[in-house]
Amino acid sequence: MDIDDGAGDRRSRFASSRSCRTFPSKFPTPPIPANYSRLDLSKVRSTALLKPFDFCLCLANPDWESEPFDFLINGVLVRMSLGQFLFRNGISAEKTLEIEYIRAVVPRKEEDPCLHDDWVSAVDGSSPGFILTGCYDGLGRVWEAGTCTHLLEGHSEPVTSVSIINPGGGESFSVATASKDRTLRLWKFNTEDPTNNPLRITAYKILHGHGAAVQSVAAQTSGNMVCSGSWDSTINLWQTDEPDSEGADVSIKKRKTAGEAKESQLEGEAVSSLVGHTQCVSSVKWPEREIIYSTSWDHSIRKWDVDTGKDILNIPCSKALNCLDIGGEGSALVAAGGSDPILRIWDPRRPGTSAPIGQFSSHTSWVTACKWHESSWFHILSASYDGKVMLWDMRTIWPLFVIDSHKDNKVLCVDWWKGDSVVSGGADTKLCISSGVSVQ
Amino acid sequence: MKVKKKSSVQEDSVKEEKKQKGKMKIPEAKEEQQRQEEVDSDSVYDSGAENESSPSNLEDMSDGEGSDSEDYPSIRDTDSEDEESGSSGNEGDLNTSGNDGLAIDHGNEDESDSSGLHEEVEESDSSEDEVAPRNTIGAVPLEWYRDEKHIGYDITGKKIKKKEKEDKLQSFLASADDSKNWRKFSDEYNDEEVELTKEDMKTINRLLKGKAPHGEFDPYAPYVDWFKWDDSNHPLSNAPEPKRRFIPSKSESKLVKRLVLAIRKGLIKPKKDEEEEEESVYPLWGDDSNSTEKDGNHLSYIPAPKPKLPGYEESFNPPLEFIPTQEEIDAYQLMYEEDRPKFIPKRFTSMRSIPAYENAVKECFERCLDLYLCPRVRKKRINIDPESLKPKLPSRKDLKPYPVKCYLEYRGHKDAVTSVSTEVSGQWIASGSLDGTVRIWEVATGRCLKLWEIGEAVTYVTWNPNPEYSILAVSAGQDVLLLNIGFGNEEVQKKTKELLCAETPSTPDDTATFVSWIQDETHEGTRLRHFKTVSSVEWHRKGDYLSTVVPADILFRVLSQKSTQTFSIKLGGIAVTSIFHPVRSHFFISTKKTIRQYDLVKGKQIRKLETGLKEISSIAVHPSGDHIIVGSREGKFCWFDMDLSTKKPYLIRQWHKKDINNVSFHRLCPLFATCSDDCTVQVSYGMVYSDLNQNPLIVPLEILRGHASSGGRGVMDCKFHPRQPWLFTAGADSVIRLYCH
Repeated sequence: MDIDDGAGDRRSRFASSRSCRTFPSKFPTPPIPANYSRLDLSKVRSTALLKPFDFCLCLANPDWESEPFDFLINGVLVRMSLGQFLFRNGISAEKTLEIEYIRAVVPRKEEDPCLHDDWVSAVDGSSPGFILTGCYDGLGRVWEAGTCTHLLEGHSEPVTSVSIINPGGGESFSVATASKDRTLRLWKFNTEDPTNNPLRITAYKILHGHGAAVQSVAAQTSGNMVCSGSWDSTINLWQTDEPDSEGADVSIKKRKTAGEAKESQLEGEAVSSLVGHTQCVSSVKWPEREIIYSTSWDHSIRKWDVDTGKDILNIPCSKALNCLDIGGEGSALVAAGGSDPILRIWDPRRPGTSAPIGQFSSHTSWVTACKWHESSWFHILSASYDGKVMLWDMRTIWPLFVIDSHKDNKVLCVDWWKGDSVVSGGADTKLCISSGVSVQ
Repeated sequence: MKVKKKSSVQEDSVKEEKKQKGKMKIPEAKEEQQRQEEVDSDSVYDSGAENESSPSNLEDMSDGEGSDSEDYPSIRDTDSEDEESGSSGNEGDLNTSGNDGLAIDHGNEDESDSSGLHEEVEESDSSEDEVAPRNTIGAVPLEWYRDEKHIGYDITGKKIKKKEKEDKLQSFLASADDSKNWRKFSDEYNDEEVELTKEDMKTINRLLKGKAPHGEFDPYAPYVDWFKWDDSNHPLSNAPEPKRRFIPSKSESKLVKRLVLAIRKGLIKPKKDEEEEEESVYPLWGDDSNSTEKDGNHLSYIPAPKPKLPGYEESFNPPLEFIPTQEEIDAYQLMYEEDRPKFIPKRFTSMRSIPAYENAVKECFERCLDLYLCPRVRKKRINIDPESLKPKLPSRKDLKPYPVKCYLEYRGHKDAVTSVSTEVSGQWIASGSLDGTVRIWEVATGRCLKLWEIGEAVTYVTWNPNPEYSILAVSAGQDVLLLNIGFGNEEVQKKTKELLCAETPSTPDDTATFVSWIQDETHEGTRLRHFKTVSSVEWHRKGDYLSTVVPADILFRVLSQKSTQTFSIKLGGIAVTSIFHPVRSHFFISTKKTIRQYDLVKGKQIRKLETGLKEISSIAVHPSGDHIIVGSREGKFCWFDMDLSTKKPYLIRQWHKKDINNVSFHRLCPLFATCSDDCTVQVSYGMVYSDLNQNPLIVPLEILRGHASSGGRGVMDCKFHPRQPWLFTAGADSVIRLYCH
């Protein structure tokens, strides 16, 4: 949707439009004063487009007139008046500028929050059909269209992290949850079950092995394995499939005799363990088949090779880190936030430097979660203890928008849902959904 | 020189002559050739005339004054008769006697002459400088008498008349005639003409050649050895030479050593002769302004400040651009008087049109006023950069990380939080409050996970440092509760339960009177009941021992044995807190003024530290165990370095205005913190070096604010996160805050 618009110089004499793909260049662009900001530019753009005959498809949309736009000069978003922008970036005012415009990314609609019984500690929106949340009351919940359809029962302590193992898996889904009770549980459920009351399901597999609270879980893209980071400073890898081995049956029997398990519950042990962090592993991500990223409170981000179990990359940071996500340009950038209000972006492909390539610092407290957009290279969400969720664009240092629906309560988790909604959960026991975020 | 001496000799008084004649018989030979001639008449250089003179000498000796008078006429011949006529006959002889010597010399080489000379010389020999000249005017310029008729006064006060001056021509003719003229010269002082004798000439010649003045002095005389060298038959002492003559003296070498040592130490300083000499010389014509600082005793000269040299504008006919326009001059009037230019350039076409200086009288007056009222004073200004006086501390940026900003608050308590304690892994903290509750918080989210209602105000909570147990010790009122937190895996839980299941001690021994172990059903723990209020509870690092401080007593518990021991050592006061040494089996107890260190194995006191504080409130031990920080109720903070041998603190600082409630060390980072009732927490850098020669480096880093005062209390407790450079502070405003780096 990169439409090249006419450019304006600071003196606002005349701006010739060049290389316009969506409307004819013979159409004269009005001169743009230097004190024009985004709003004025949007108006200019709307009028400029409305005057010609219904040329583009966009014009068929009646919303266009009130549509806010964002403007890019040399690949940087304009967030101030044109004059200031030119001055800051050292661009000569005498040249003809090329201003690109894109639709401004703003949430259009605030949907009803999903109410929980306790703090919402984890959310996963990778499946378009439902939202999976973890809660401090030890339950996992599955939400479809604002109602809770499934309750994942079994954890004795707060759920800290949830992950959908096969997000695109038709009707039957399997998910993994991690909890402070030192276990991970794997669940299976079918979204097609029509229920009025939430269906209570139990885990088909319990993963024991961590010596302390499990802080984070991430599933392999293929769905065969999950990895988890824990307070015992290790990362464990687990098989997700249901083994038919005898040992598992024995354990079932044991549990049955103990009279705890009612259904068939398997117990699993870690396939392997990645040791190297010295403190709590706060977040893990498994973006590729062989690569695991992890952050820890020992101020480092590590990249692990699954096959060898060695860390191939160690990015030092000055703060204890809470969250991590991989995405952005080439799905290779590392975003992490920690015990300070700054969201940092690293490029692990850049050799010989461990300095972050981007820093977003509009939050006022710890960053608890960050999430790249699935398809966009530029957009990243962050949540913080200051109660705000912010959407960032890599092309500007100011947030594109701020969702303040948690009202100063700590936001603990945030995720994209269906590519155009932001779901976030926090200490106000709500799962807030802001939809209509049109990120291309 | 010789000649002068003679002249002076000749003025001797008669009496002196007599005396000296008596002495003359003693053979003394310095400059008096004649004396020697008498002794050995056949001297080498004696001429016939001298031979003649020897009898006359003898005569002189015998005659004395008489001979003088006889000589007199002969003198007169050569000199002048004026003198004689001027002076009376009797007195004149005194004068003449002095003149004799001269006259005799210059005159013919008569017997009489030579004899006179001899006399004089002999006299001069012994009388030395006592001999006064004939003229007594002293050392005044002779030209004072140039216009007078006399040349001076003799010893009796009579004028000595001038001789009549001969014509130049006459004198020339006389000199031409006189073959001995070259030996004559005039003595202006006495107004006489002196003629050198042959002997004089010889003496002079010898002196010129560099020989001894006496002709008969033989520098190469055969040496007469008066000492008898050959061995006598009966020597005075036949003892062999003592050995000490051949070996170096010990006492002397000692003395030398002592001197060398003193010189090395700087007790003896070599005299600075050269410098003194330099000081004695000073630039007579030097600039006074430079020499002013030299002397502190006198009024020093203070040079006037140098006026600025006049420039073009001060010229009587300056270039046009220097002359202000009328507007500028008007503008000057609007300025403050101090800022106004003192001099406004004006232009005169010629020198003669320059008027008199209008301010001359005024400035003169002001100058006088200045001199009178404000004499110049030398200001002693010390040029020291104040920055250089500060101790050189590293910059705070280099000492990062340290807690700076509060990001998280743990809210939930209803009353002042008295104590916080961190779990070993840093995942949880426990807090106790005056509202009678103990809470467990999750550090990362600030969520309260567990809550115990104790019922009594909780004064102290501390987490068992051993990760194998999840036990929290809580002191509330007279009880110490050991709570099972319920964290950790099954193994930890099992161990913890084993440790805490308290059967009532089977044998009620003595300790039972102090403490009873009761199973606490409501809280799943053990209750230790004391009969007095417990002020502090500390765990040993192994987690099996627990020390509780009740006033006047310190009790040790062994959890595994469920036993209690009292610490039976006299403390000179009420025990305030106690703490275990982090490495060794030592134990620190602080009373209100002192801190004692005990060895628990040997059971004896190792060290006693005098803090000098009024009332100690809290102590903390550095993880190395060699340093202790102490907070006091008057807001002072002390650092003790146990490696130093003194009992005094290494450092005392007053960082707080009110009571320090707690002090704390970081386990890993070189950080420590003090929290106080003035609602501030002081975070400082305390680096301890393994090098014993290097003192600990202590740098105050940051004052953390944020807590509100409540009931006069501020921050009650502060604890560092065990792994991160974060600080937990418990406030009287019922909030716990986490300060992060």
